[in-house]
Amino acid sequence: MTQLHTHKRKHPWWSPERPWVWLLPIVILLAIYSVYPFIFNIIISFQRFDPMDKAFKWNFPANWINLFTNSDFLKAFRITATYGIIALVVELVLGIAIALAFDRSRVRLRGLWQSLFILPMVVPPVIAGLMFRFLQNADYGIISNILYALGIIERSEPLIGGTGRNVLLAVLIADVWQWTPFVALIVLAGLKSMPHEPLEAAVVDGATPWQLFWEIKLPLLRGVLAVAVLFRIVDLLRLFDYVAIMTSGGPGGNSETISHYAYRMHKSIEWGMVSVIGIVVLILAIVVTNAYMRAFKVKF
Amino acid sequence: MAITQLPASGVTRKVEATQAERVARRRHRRESIAQTAVAAFIALFFFAPIAYWFLVSVKPLTYTMSWPPVLLSEPIFDWYEVVVLGLDPNVGAKTGIVFNGAAGDYYVIPYLLNSIVIGVLSTIVAVGLATPAAYALSRFHFQRRSSVIAWILSTRMMPPVVAMFPLFWLYTQADQRVFSSIFGRGTSVLYDSLLGVLLVHVVVNLPLSTLLLKSFFDDIPTDLDEAAMVDGCTRWQAFSKVIWHYALPGMAAAAILAFITSWNEFLLTLTVTRTQFRTVPVFGSTFDVSAAGTEWGALAAVSTTAMVPVFIFVLIVQRNLVRGLTMGAVKG
Repeated sequence: MTQLHTHKRKHPWWSPERPWVWLLPIVILLAIYSVYPFIFNIIISFQRFDPMDKAFKWNFPANWINLFTNSDFLKAFRITATYGIIALVVELVLGIAIALAFDRSRVRLRGLWQSLFILPMVVPPVIAGLMFRFLQNADYGIISNILYALGIIERSEPLIGGTGRNVLLAVLIADVWQWTPFVALIVLAGLKSMPHEPLEAAVVDGATPWQLFWEIKLPLLRGVLAVAVLFRIVDLLRLFDYVAIMTSGGPGGNSETISHYAYRMHKSIEWGMVSVIGIVVLILAIVVTNAYMRAFKVKF
Repeated sequence: MAITQLPASGVTRKVEATQAERVARRRHRRESIAQTAVAAFIALFFFAPIAYWFLVSVKPLTYTMSWPPVLLSEPIFDWYEVVVLGLDPNVGAKTGIVFNGAAGDYYVIPYLLNSIVIGVLSTIVAVGLATPAAYALSRFHFQRRSSVIAWILSTRMMPPVVAMFPLFWLYTQADQRVFSSIFGRGTSVLYDSLLGVLLVHVVVNLPLSTLLLKSFFDDIPTDLDEAAMVDGCTRWQAFSKVIWHYALPGMAAAAILAFITSWNEFLLTLTVTRTQFRTVPVFGSTFDVSAAGTEWGALAAVSTTAMVPVFIFVLIVQRNLVRGLTMGAVKG
């Protein structure tokens, strides 16, 4: 032990016997991506860009007051939160159900079905957005027509268009299509690595499949489910791509998420506002994920 | 009598056994058919949109932009001539499609090359930098280790809108104020350049790659490092000559995920480019899909061209996917 200490002290911080030189490149790059934006956003959040002078000017609390009294932002916040919770629940329930279906012992050609099933996950979200924009067209879109036939929506209020009542359903369909496979794949990995003994013991004791799921499988899946949900929360908080491609936040701001709102501010050179939103979103993301990881004991 | 009876009873028993077996086998087959049908239904349900979208790319628009659509017709490849070969369908004897746009607008190949070059280069750089960092996080038990890990993790959790404007400003200002005075007016070193886009894609992938690789290094026993160092290796040699070979599966998993992330990245690439080095997603976002004249056949062909390489790639490597997707938290 003493030997180890003298060994350590002999080496300066930049020696490869110490960790810092190994970490230096990624620390510098990640600082450009996270530390610099954080500090920069704080400073800019108290300023306003003057397009005439092409310079930032102080306007101390105006951006912050503006943000929290701005009905557009509050609406975007509400939409992001409610949409996120609904999408999360749907994807989680469907993902678990599908993983259980794939995990049955007598499925033939399992590899083929699994391969087809995971493909949505690697479609670029922008491409998925284009695709669903076509499939959800009010007149000839196949998804729209199926939903009309099932009586879920009416022709006067199509998925995209109209007053925008159903527009979040349109985004939800794309999201669920793309990310349910992600949840299912992770749950499937959890089911595969599950110990056999408790399951066999329960079968011997005459447990029904329903009991088997609720009392044995689900508790054992806790860890992997926690990880799957964490990654979904992170992605849902930053939801942007589908909205930008499919709806541009409309109609009537009914599909505007926080990220899309920030992007719109960026385009209209309201950079002080973009920085305020950046800080709010960053704090939100870190608080939510930290609380979540602590509650469900997720470790990396 | 006894001699004739024995085989007879034996035969009866055998017949009874096979009957029980047959019942069991029939039940198994029924179960197998039902379970396979459910799995196949789910898979085809999720694959159906992609298949339908592909069909749009091989039909005239009059067939797919009507309800009910005409899907059972001979395929045409005119849309691929537009997007892959850059041909103008209005010139020459193209009869299959009516095309209203300017032909060059849908030519996807330059963007596809951008996506491939940026994807490959950023993957190599990200995994190359993440591997030694992950080794250090796994092997050195220094004081601030857990805070460094928490910080790296928080950059993975950070929504990209946080960095969107700061990076845009950094790029444009550095070009205008610093690089213009060094390399001459109007040079863009960062904004709208390969270097700038690469930097974004590397940085986006670093947290995931580093934490994923750390989970792989954690699985490699430290005895191996110690053995190498007892044999006279320095810490660096132990890593560069011995240990990294054991982390190759981890590097593969990280590379797969980094490539897919880079292939899909949209918001930041959109903000730091204007015309040059735009990737396929940014290209796809430039079309006004709410307008009446959208060339859906061309867009479907663009999509298919952009999806197929990744599909092939994923079908080859899918075993590594789960661990990568969860940054090592779930072992697939």
